[in-house]
Amino acid sequence: MSQSTASSDWEIVIGLEVHVQLHTRAKVFASCGWGFGQEPNEQVDAVVLGLPGTLPVVNREAVERSILFGLVVGAEIPERCAWDRKNYFYPDNPKNYQLTQKDFPVVVGGKVEIELPGASRNVMGEHKWIRLHHAHLEEDVGKLSHAGGGSLVDYNRAGVPLLEIVTEPDLRSAAEAEAFLRSLVAMLTQAGVADCDMEKGQLRCDCNVSVRPRGATKLGTRTETKNLNSISGVRDTVIYESARQIRELQAGRAIVQETRGWNAEQGRGYVLRDKEDAHDYRYFPDPDIPTLLISRDTVQRLQQQVPENLYDRQRRYMEKLALPYTAASVLVAQRRLAEWFEEAVAAYPANPQGIANLIANDLLRDLAAGSAESSGEGVSTTPAKTVDDCPLKPAQLAALVKLTDEGLISKQQAKEVFAEMFKTGQDPMVIVEQKGLKQNSDTGELEKIVREVVADPAVAKSIAEYRAGNEKAINALKGPIMKRTQGKANPSLIDQLLRKILG
Amino acid sequence: MAEGFDIEHLAKLARLQLTPEEKVLYAQQLNSVLGHFRALAEADLPAQVDDALVVSEAALRADNPGPTLGAEAVTRVAPASRDGQISVPRVVDDEA
Amino acid sequence: MSNALHQLSAVELSQRLQAGTLTSRALVDALIARYEAVNPKVGAFTALDIADVRAQADASDERRRQGKSRGPLEGIPVAIKDNIAVKGQPLTCSSKMLAKLVSPYDAHVTEQLRSAGAILYGRLNMDEFAMGSSTENSALQKTFNPWDLSRIPGGSSGGSAAALAAGLVPLALGSDTGGSIRQPASHCGVVGLKPTYGLVSRFGLVAFASSLDQIGPMARSVEDCELLLQVLATPDARDMTCFDASHRQPLPVAAPAALRIGVPRGFLGKGVAPEVVQALESVLDFYRRQGCAIVEVDLPSADLAVPTYYVVATAEASSNLGRYDGVRYGHRSTQASNPIEMMTNSRSEGFGPEVKRRILLGTFVLSAGYADAYYVRALRARAKIRAEYLGALAKVDVLLTPTVPTPAFKVGEKASDPLQLYLEDIFTIPANLAGLPALSVPCGRSGQLPIGFHLVGAPQSEAKLLAAGKLFEAAHGFAHQQAAL
Repeated sequence: MSQSTASSDWEIVIGLEVHVQLHTRAKVFASCGWGFGQEPNEQVDAVVLGLPGTLPVVNREAVERSILFGLVVGAEIPERCAWDRKNYFYPDNPKNYQLTQKDFPVVVGGKVEIELPGASRNVMGEHKWIRLHHAHLEEDVGKLSHAGGGSLVDYNRAGVPLLEIVTEPDLRSAAEAEAFLRSLVAMLTQAGVADCDMEKGQLRCDCNVSVRPRGATKLGTRTETKNLNSISGVRDTVIYESARQIRELQAGRAIVQETRGWNAEQGRGYVLRDKEDAHDYRYFPDPDIPTLLISRDTVQRLQQQVPENLYDRQRRYMEKLALPYTAASVLVAQRRLAEWFEEAVAAYPANPQGIANLIANDLLRDLAAGSAESSGEGVSTTPAKTVDDCPLKPAQLAALVKLTDEGLISKQQAKEVFAEMFKTGQDPMVIVEQKGLKQNSDTGELEKIVREVVADPAVAKSIAEYRAGNEKAINALKGPIMKRTQGKANPSLIDQLLRKILG
Repeated sequence: MAEGFDIEHLAKLARLQLTPEEKVLYAQQLNSVLGHFRALAEADLPAQVDDALVVSEAALRADNPGPTLGAEAVTRVAPASRDGQISVPRVVDDEA
Repeated sequence: MSNALHQLSAVELSQRLQAGTLTSRALVDALIARYEAVNPKVGAFTALDIADVRAQADASDERRRQGKSRGPLEGIPVAIKDNIAVKGQPLTCSSKMLAKLVSPYDAHVTEQLRSAGAILYGRLNMDEFAMGSSTENSALQKTFNPWDLSRIPGGSSGGSAAALAAGLVPLALGSDTGGSIRQPASHCGVVGLKPTYGLVSRFGLVAFASSLDQIGPMARSVEDCELLLQVLATPDARDMTCFDASHRQPLPVAAPAALRIGVPRGFLGKGVAPEVVQALESVLDFYRRQGCAIVEVDLPSADLAVPTYYVVATAEASSNLGRYDGVRYGHRSTQASNPIEMMTNSRSEGFGPEVKRRILLGTFVLSAGYADAYYVRALRARAKIRAEYLGALAKVDVLLTPTVPTPAFKVGEKASDPLQLYLEDIFTIPANLAGLPALSVPCGRSGQLPIGFHLVGAPQSEAKLLAAGKLFEAAHGFAHQQAAL
């Protein structure tokens, strides 16, 4: 095999194993609760601790969230699923076996649509489908930390429900891996399957990377980098590891199939010391949990909870509602925001773009400002504000757009009204009247002003140009009219009157 | 040793430390036991095995958090503890 | 002597307590006196908190006085094998590994006993982690057969059987993975029932082999066994393998009409002692005289049962016993510089030889390269054995065999040969593999040594087994027998 020299001669092949903590109140095989930020070992019961005689019982919610995920990605939900024991000794593994699903996972197949970055922010990038191999429901392990001459074990995290989502080796670049994870997180959060808060370790990735000469059909030897806890960590790992492998191959060395770690601070990967015998997990079916039959009724019920696919929604906004990509992509990023937008559009279907612009520009800006205000200095611990955190209702925003469209207020005034609505939640009409912002639509009075302005010799030149056929010249007359009415005049009425008077 | 019974490897997998005498004794005893398992290797068996036990979703647990032991009780049964955590000899770091 | 309290059945004691001619405190005091005199010779109990059982008895008497009796076992002591959790009591499994463990919770059966009014009466010796057939594998103490103190009581529930045979308690709990209730019951001349898998919750039973383990009642009569079973056999959502209410059949049934009794062809052949064969023949004669049909049945895969059992049981055990590593509870070695060494040394110091042997065997049959030849084939053999048993039980009501091929052997006689000991369970193992109920009932003697017969029925046919057992018991003198000591 001839050695390729340029990195573009190489194809990168990536497969991900994404571990997601499911959105449940209790643990997956124990009734004990869990949550972030508790004192060590406070969220532990006899089952979690693996005391002799205790038995697992599967949490219904964990199963249903897993099924819901499967339905979101169009996967098969087999009629039966089962749990196996993965045996290995480690102090953070309370029973020294982990309950997982090896042969009969709850979710089989499925695919996730991803969107790559476009040429610029205003341009939609390429879309691609990434196939999933399966997703299985298992338990998390505890946490080990080092202190002085010893190590300490906290089992709060042990038994937290984890959905492990395994892709096919379909990803071809760091950008695709990043786009996949962003898409996956959006789907998981929008369906209420998981919160995916990476700062709390709710999403962790194992990243399999191999490279091969472009055009080759056989996969190269892969390495697995374990326990990446951010999207950027995955992206950086792919860049680092693919470059490393290409360098190795170019130097005529073989890739060693190995397990690696990632040092985010130093931006480099390293070989994990192989735990001796770690590879013989002696899987066998867990005798404490019978094979679980999943009824088709449950699947149908959960199907009702599947939200519209992120990119289906984006396409719909762009095609049916004629939204620009920038606005559409912003709206679909949050399910609640998209629903809020649609409620507004339902209240006033005539101008979805006007509604979308107000949301994307004004509403999100004010919400972001509010979030920054309430979190104060330093690291933000309060969640970002959402549309439901402001008093403004979708129908009110729709009414504001309608008022503007009808010419009752100008676009400039609409922004002022919006700011007030955002603070008080008052109807736009109330604010317009309180502030005396109503545009002057009294034809008689306005006609008088128009005639006075037209008679002003200062504008004679513009009138002459207009009459000579320069349509745009008419605009030069509108400014003085607006000024005379203190901005209250209805612009379309001014236009009408001018044309009538100028003939 | 037709069975390929590697007593040292198994002891390591099972996290057991055996004395040289124990290794000899267990290897010999287990090989004798495995010799009697030959009937299993030779038997005509069904290719497919149905699930021994199946349950419906009615057997699942509701997602209601129940009582916990509390760190105090956890550390009380533990052989060694510090600050609400169970202490063990220092784990060797993966990255030094 | 015939009126001594320690000789009475639970049913009789219950009647006296209800009639007010006996208090629970008087009963417990009599049993404590018996314990102090006899337990040192027999070694059945590993722990008995005398102050606690007296307090429980007083509380029971007080409830009765106030008309607030809880249930059918009000005031009756029940002794518990040391692998079943009782809050605040030791849970040693007769292992050095758990010698200091105090259970922070109750097993489901313990809760059931409490709510039936029972006195939770001490901890019973066993083979370490229920692995054995002689109770010689206890790391805590030896237990002897009350009928001949030079012999083993059977196992692993040897403490339970010996306590009953020695008149130390009227009722006891055992657990049965391959015969651990029935084999010691047979050796000690008492009655033991292994319920259908799933009838009794395993929550709080320290797991040996989860797919085979069941808790069951032991007593000196079939009737007492039934009384205890009714308290134990209730649904429990904490054990997913335990039947819920909708999957349960009612326990008590009318006395059986003429049963069809199946005798597996060839079971009375090699390895069965002549006196055991003789005792079995007389049992069959009895049932024949009662109008039962005795038919031969074929169980062609019977020879696979012992290897299948030892593969499945040790595989599960190797995983179940993984949790004993000295990290969270139990014995921790002081000789260690890192966690792996600490776990390894704790396990090596905490487990006895038979437990290590079975962990090694179970690790082997699951290990890469061997799992298909051993573990996976064993699952297939198990399915075949189960199908054959269910097929046979579709044609007959019960299958009848000896419980054990030979009477109790001498202490130390088979200690050096694990394989010989594994064959002790040849008749009892199939019921565990197939999840079927099975009952051992005393039916004869070889000198002083008791002999038992064994009935296996279809799933949830406990009532039929108990009725058949009672029929035999009523016509013979073996019930309620105790060793003189």
